[in-house]
Amino acid sequence: MIRYIAQRLLMLIPVLLGISLVTFAMLRLIPGDPCRVMLGERATAEMCADFNRRMGLDEPIYVQYIRYLGNILRGDLGTSIKTGQPVVRELAERLPVTFELTIVATFLAVSFGITAGILAAVRHRSFIDLATMVVANIGVSMPVFWLGLVLMFVFAFKLKWLPPSGRSTVGVELEPLPAAWGISGPGPLVSLLEFLSGFRLLGALLTGNLRAFWDAAQHLILPSIALATIPMALIARMTRSSLLDVLGQDYVRTAYAKGLLRRAVLWRHSMKNALLPIVTTIGIEVGYLLGGAFLTETVFSLPGVGRLVVDRILARDYPVVQGAVLVIACLFVFINLMVDLTYAWIDPRIHYD
Amino acid sequence: MQGVSQARPAAALPLTFGAPARPRGLWRDIWRHLAHNPVALAGMGILAVLLLAAILAPVIAPYDPTAQILAQRNAPPSSEHIMGLDALGRDVFSRVLYGARISLFVGFFTVGSAALVGTLVGAVAAYAAGAIDNILMRLMDIMLAFPSLLLAIAVVAILGPGLTNALYAIAFVSIPVYARIVRASILSIKEQDYVLAARAVGVPSARILFRTILPNALTPLIVQATLGIASAILDAAALGFIGLGARMPTPEWGLMLAQHRNLVFTAPHTVFFPGLAIMLTVLAFNLLGDGLRDALDPRLRR
Repeated sequence: MIRYIAQRLLMLIPVLLGISLVTFAMLRLIPGDPCRVMLGERATAEMCADFNRRMGLDEPIYVQYIRYLGNILRGDLGTSIKTGQPVVRELAERLPVTFELTIVATFLAVSFGITAGILAAVRHRSFIDLATMVVANIGVSMPVFWLGLVLMFVFAFKLKWLPPSGRSTVGVELEPLPAAWGISGPGPLVSLLEFLSGFRLLGALLTGNLRAFWDAAQHLILPSIALATIPMALIARMTRSSLLDVLGQDYVRTAYAKGLLRRAVLWRHSMKNALLPIVTTIGIEVGYLLGGAFLTETVFSLPGVGRLVVDRILARDYPVVQGAVLVIACLFVFINLMVDLTYAWIDPRIHYD
Repeated sequence: MQGVSQARPAAALPLTFGAPARPRGLWRDIWRHLAHNPVALAGMGILAVLLLAAILAPVIAPYDPTAQILAQRNAPPSSEHIMGLDALGRDVFSRVLYGARISLFVGFFTVGSAALVGTLVGAVAAYAAGAIDNILMRLMDIMLAFPSLLLAIAVVAILGPGLTNALYAIAFVSIPVYARIVRASILSIKEQDYVLAARAVGVPSARILFRTILPNALTPLIVQATLGIASAILDAAALGFIGLGARMPTPEWGLMLAQHRNLVFTAPHTVFFPGLAIMLTVLAFNLLGDGLRDALDPRLRR
């Protein structure tokens, strides 16, 4: 197992280097002069010379790349052209919104998807099976942004059960963690706590602010359902077909023949073996969820990274776009690593070759 | 894809092992399976309607998709305008019809070009083996290390927003999937007896690749391409929706949604119909793709 983990970690290096190469190349691949593109057509030669020096664009390309890598490793992703803020700070403000949404949606997709899939498989060819598969097929084809708008129309406008958009109701205050706990001054701890405060659910829970927690939860329900639908449908389908495969195996029949309880056969003999393809699907879908979060944020006016990236592409603020793409891609790679390790943990026969 | 189903010109090739024994078998086989699959038939039915709508849009559409009736902006569906009018007083039904042209073109173009390039990359990698194989496939791995929509957004960031650039972006990010499929199929077919036999009698490598191996690697490619069209259409609509795809006044479904998303409470029809159109189109390709997979993959037949 340790050997497998080590090998898998080693394999990360070329992939991470590749990702950095792609984000590095982004700025250099823009058709035209990057300076004119970002500062506008009226930028003077001096402004451009200064800009190129600041961005390191006046050096040989390999020096630029090595410097870029060095900066990344030190946690420096450059400075936003639009706001003049460090990119890292801009991302730190927005990432919690995207992460919170993605995490809640993943939880919904996995729990409901697997439950529905198991029900459909156990009651194969029943009404539940048929209904699950019809819903799953339609769910797979649902554009997130449209589903979001439809949910908004039904639950926020017609039924008035939930708030239509945003993260919180005006007037519901949530104190940032450092202030609530009386920790002040600069330092990594305060930065970390400030970052964590961006997760409203977590922040509200840690400060015991139940009103803010309930408010944040209500605002998250519609976006996360919209985002979770496609992965939920795919996970349900995969769970059903994978479990059906296993339930048809001889050893399952043997287990029943031994007189084991239905529950024991299902959980201990069948689910465990059906789990691998399900975990794969979940891993793939988390990548989708990160992309889909970009769309959901637009629909529900959430100030996440997705909205940031799109706004900054339109504003031609490339350092922010590069930084965001880099961070999300690295996160995706990390999640895939987790999936692979889960794989090895579920099935000890798996090893790297 | 048609090329495969054509009978090989027997006269020109007196003795080759270059073509499979039953050149027409595959398509007839697929059809036989699809005909007994109600779900796939439903997909094909929806698709046929969509194709007709797209082709005949200028004939069917009751109004010009960009003509404005300013006095009736946001008018709800009526007998004259069955899907109502949008925020600029344009007929939603006509725009949805013309949108079918765009979305179907997006699907076929992106998947067609991605499959073509992917096939080339995969075939070269599988055939060349060694270092070239390694480099090509690691490049594909790096592309797969990004969530696909994010990579497409990054490509659009480089090229600049717009429908054409969105098309290139979506095609580009789909390449690795096809490259992998083709490479894997070729590697498994390469050592089959009939390929070895062809090589033994001195059939040139290129001919073996195009006449013997690729046709046999085609089945997983067809399935992936059909499902790929569904996700390409979805991605293009997504890019249009966040403002990085089609530009006004193009009647692209995602853009139509984006323009009217603030009207979802006051004029829901402006949002409902374009979204429904996206969903039905994607559903049709998904159903057909699943049907094809069941028909083509003997392991899944049950």
